Amino acid sequence: MAEQVAIAPVRKTVRVKVPIAHAFEVFTSGLTRWWPHDHGVGKKPIRKVLMEPRLGGRWLEISADGTETTVATITLWEPPHRFAMLWQVNAQWQPDAAMKSEVDVRFTSDGPDATDVELVHHKFETMGAEAGASMRKDVDGGWPGLIARFVAEAERSRH
Amino acid sequence: MAYGNALAVLADPTRRKVFERLRNGPRAVGALAEGLPVSRPAVSQHLKALKDAGLVEERSEGVRRIYSLRREGLRELREWLDSFWGDALDAFKLEAETSHKKTPRSR
Repeated sequence: MAEQVAIAPVRKTVRVKVPIAHAFEVFTSGLTRWWPHDHGVGKKPIRKVLMEPRLGGRWLEISADGTETTVATITLWEPPHRFAMLWQVNAQWQPDAAMKSEVDVRFTSDGPDATDVELVHHKFETMGAEAGASMRKDVDGGWPGLIARFVAEAERSRH
Repeated sequence: MAYGNALAVLADPTRRKVFERLRNGPRAVGALAEGLPVSRPAVSQHLKALKDAGLVEERSEGVRRIYSLRREGLRELREWLDSFWGDALDAFKLEAETSHKKTPRSR
C-alpha cells in the first residue's frame, strides 16, 4: 500500500436551538429542505436532494429530468447522535464511487432545546496527495461555481 | 447586506482595477489613477463607491488622502464566497430552527 501522509481534517460547528432529535431529523431526512440546490455534483437543475436515512443509505441528487446521482453513502448510522458517510466526489467535483474521503457529523444536546452539530470532513489523503489537498481546500473554502454565483449576483444587483 | 453592495460595486471593471491596485498597499488617488484610462476625478468616484461598500478606507496624510483595503469588508465578502460546509450548516440551522418553531413539540 502506498504511504499516505494525513491531510488535516476540515471541522465546522453550528449550534441550533432545537432538540437533538429534531436537529438530526432535519439534517438527514429533511436534507432537501435546506441543502443549497446550487451545491450539486450531478445533472442540473437539481429538483431534490435526498438522504436515505439508514446504514448503507445514499445521499442522492435528483435532477429535473429524473437523473439520480449518488453523492455519498452512509457508513455509520446512530440516530440522533451521529452519522458518517463516504463522500463520493472527486477533486473535479464529479460523482465518483471510488472516492473515500469521509464526512462525520455528530450531534450533542445541550439541554432540551439546543444541539451542537460538529461536522468533520477528513481522510482526504485517500484521494491522493494532490487531489486530497484540492478537495480539502474546496470544502473548507469555496465551492466550485461560487465564482459564477458571485458574477451572477454582481450582475443582478448592479441593475 | 454588506456583501451585496460589495458585489455590485466590484462588478464595474475599472473599479475592480482600482481595488486590485490597492492590494499592493495604501495609495493616494494620483498613484491609483496612473496608467488607468479614466480621469482622476473618476477614480475618486470609484474610490467613494468602494468606501461606501465597506471595501476601502481612507485616511488623511496632510492634504493627501490615502486609500487602503478594509480587511473587515473583505472578510465579509470572502466568508460569503468561501464556504461550502459553512454555508450548508447555516442553511441547516435556519431550517431546523424555523421548522421547530412552526411545530413545537410538547415534552
